[in-house]
Amino acid sequence: MTAAPRQLTLEEWDARHALLARGGLREPWYGGPLGRHVEREGDLRLRHLRFDNSVAALRLWNFLLTENRRLRTARAQGERLVGTMKDLGTVPVMAYALPKLRAFYPDGAWWTPCLMECSDRLLNQAEALGVDATFCPVRAMLPAFLTEKHFPRPDLLVCSTGAVCDDFSAIAQRLERLGHAILWWEIPRRRTPQREEVRCDLPGGFTAPRTQLDCVRDEMQRIGAELGKLAGCELDERRLHAGIQSANRVRRQLQTLRDTVYSAPGAPLPALEMLIAEMLAVHYCSDREESLIVLAELTAEAEARVAARRHVVGEEAVRVFWVNPVADLRAMNLLEACGGRLCGSDFMFTHALDLILEDLPSFEALARMALADPMIGPTVDRARRIGAECRRQRIEAVVVSRIPGASHCPWEGTLLREPLAAGLALPVVEVEIPPVCDALLPTLQTRLEALMETARERRRT
Amino acid sequence: MEVLLTSPWIPPEWIKAHGLDPRGAWFAEAARAGAVPEGVCAFAQRMADLARPFSDAPIVFTTACDQMRRAADAAQADGGPVFLFNLPATWQTPTARRLYHHELARLGRFLESLGGRAPTDAHLVEVIREYEAHREALRMLSSWCEARQLAEALAYYFDGSAQTFPGRNGTAEHPDSLPHQAAAIDQASASRRVPLALVGGPLLPAQWTLFDSIAAAGGQVVLNATEPGERCLLPALPPPFPGQRPLAALADHYFDHAVDVYHRPNSRLYAWLCPRLAERCIRGIVLWAQVACDLWRAEAASLREALGLPVLVVEAHAVHAGGTREATRLAAFIEALHDCMRPSPAGAAEGWGSGSTDTSRTPL
Repeated sequence: MTAAPRQLTLEEWDARHALLARGGLREPWYGGPLGRHVEREGDLRLRHLRFDNSVAALRLWNFLLTENRRLRTARAQGERLVGTMKDLGTVPVMAYALPKLRAFYPDGAWWTPCLMECSDRLLNQAEALGVDATFCPVRAMLPAFLTEKHFPRPDLLVCSTGAVCDDFSAIAQRLERLGHAILWWEIPRRRTPQREEVRCDLPGGFTAPRTQLDCVRDEMQRIGAELGKLAGCELDERRLHAGIQSANRVRRQLQTLRDTVYSAPGAPLPALEMLIAEMLAVHYCSDREESLIVLAELTAEAEARVAARRHVVGEEAVRVFWVNPVADLRAMNLLEACGGRLCGSDFMFTHALDLILEDLPSFEALARMALADPMIGPTVDRARRIGAECRRQRIEAVVVSRIPGASHCPWEGTLLREPLAAGLALPVVEVEIPPVCDALLPTLQTRLEALMETARERRRT
Repeated sequence: MEVLLTSPWIPPEWIKAHGLDPRGAWFAEAARAGAVPEGVCAFAQRMADLARPFSDAPIVFTTACDQMRRAADAAQADGGPVFLFNLPATWQTPTARRLYHHELARLGRFLESLGGRAPTDAHLVEVIREYEAHREALRMLSSWCEARQLAEALAYYFDGSAQTFPGRNGTAEHPDSLPHQAAAIDQASASRRVPLALVGGPLLPAQWTLFDSIAAAGGQVVLNATEPGERCLLPALPPPFPGQRPLAALADHYFDHAVDVYHRPNSRLYAWLCPRLAERCIRGIVLWAQVACDLWRAEAASLREALGLPVLVVEAHAVHAGGTREATRLAAFIEALHDCMRPSPAGAAEGWGSGSTDTSRTPL
């Protein structure tokens, strides 16, 4: 533990960084003061965020904000780049199992308008390409492909389709029409097996019929074969098994971090850093081994703080479960400003947090993981999982964060709220977070504060 | 028992062969229509609403889009008998084909659970032939019939009433009487109208006023590629392979000929549109999309680029089309296209039929 836990502004962090550097701070090659990302990359949003003051958090942020640069370096060193879209955690397991292959999510460009406070004009450019503001902010991906400023053009583009959100499917199709060939693979809508069907257990407590599992396994093998061609060597059982073991190492580390932070009496790490840390599970922020180190350092910091009973958010804060990722990172700071703390999350990729089964043939194990995606099944399944997590982490309130324009959001609020409110009697609030939420801050704050008040009132009764 | 179908890509033959009555959900009326929340597709909401009053009429939803999947979730939460058919988005792989076959078999088990009888092959063949004959009549009709009349005729097919078509005055008529009605179309005025394609998602009977709005603005829909329009009319069913079961042949036929925007890639849609647009000398496209339908709305730019035609997006409202705003936009669009129509070498305007090699399309 490096200092008393607190959240710093960007200026405070840069001053602290200078101090630490003078004291002999050792950083990885992508390290440095956070302020340089504002100056060099135009990540203006950083000026309005509050960051955890640990060196581990500094490394996390530098790791996140240098992804574009690291990808270009990897390409310059002869590695092949795979753009994986929508599946959030499945294809990268295969890609990283092969030598000299690196997978990343162009979907990640959805945070670029937030980070650059729309100075990138990606959203305007998307509109000019026929995808307007009625679509999810992931539309920023479309012009980002054309400008190649925010990520390099991948050597292979893979996208899951079928039971995926309409925005993404439509945008990806538009991308293909603009000349970017896509290797599509089918992910069926997960359903509960019927009596006469063979039932397969999936991670996360879900089930699926054998026919669906076979379908996804075949698709995994098809994609695996294409990745093998790109890498110049076959993705065989041995390689994939080793890839799954490595993926599980990252997932175990993240589980330890989540358990440490979410079960602690106070928050040893803030919500914003936890959101970023969880994102690492999806594609390791383009560097699997480094992501493991970043997560291990964060865990060590969190454990040290818990042991010392020194928290960045106090024990009186309301324990909140957050559903869906936020388009504006500032919303996570706001949660704490309103008296809450993050104690559970479903950022739409819980299947990337669960361990992949290692005692099954590898493609089948991967297919089971893909089918456990919370977004491809009935909303009631997702609500059940959230409910179980709420019980386990003694959650006091739930925030369902809507993504503007996303096809699933108008429906899922009600469908999630009813089982949570009825089964657990938890107060639930829905908020919509646009890429830059400053104009909505008073409304968001009022809604979140009302939620915290309700939760505190329930404590008393 | 009626079984409501929300997609043209589920064979009604299969339901009929089980002794149940397939009915296109486009034509069913919800007893109590709920408000359409912000961001929700009005058509998907309507389908969810149908689950309530029709609690004894099962609804078959599909996974073609996220909104319909969520509508099925909502309908299931309300306790209605709902079947969610997994329509694969991909179509190039044996895996996707197998998935479609499995779903059809699963639908069969669902129908049996409702009291349907598993059909014998012979009975299924008989039903398939009956539907094929009806489709054949519709295909012939589509070669010359006015768009609104064709929509009405297709409605009768998808609504499960095979024998009669509606006349313009709302009375039921035998199909043979329709040529006489078509003959009444003023050929001269038709040739002056701007030939348009109407492309897009579900177009409900209450929204057929769109045809009239287009006509009033000086246009004419010569290709209705909405749902359930001509796009949803399958080609002739080929004879089954030796040893192929009729259900397998039926499944393959639907799987191979579904033309829709949700496919990935959706190149089949373009492959279907291209020759028809050329053949019918179409000058512009009216893209009909539900307000919250990402799949169709995102296609506007691609249609424009790929087909080289002007595209006007007309958004469906929850109840009906034909408001003042739509009328004005349509009028401006058609007026602009009309100005672009150049006299043909023979001196006649290049309207529907006059510049086409397909003379069978010329209205009588």
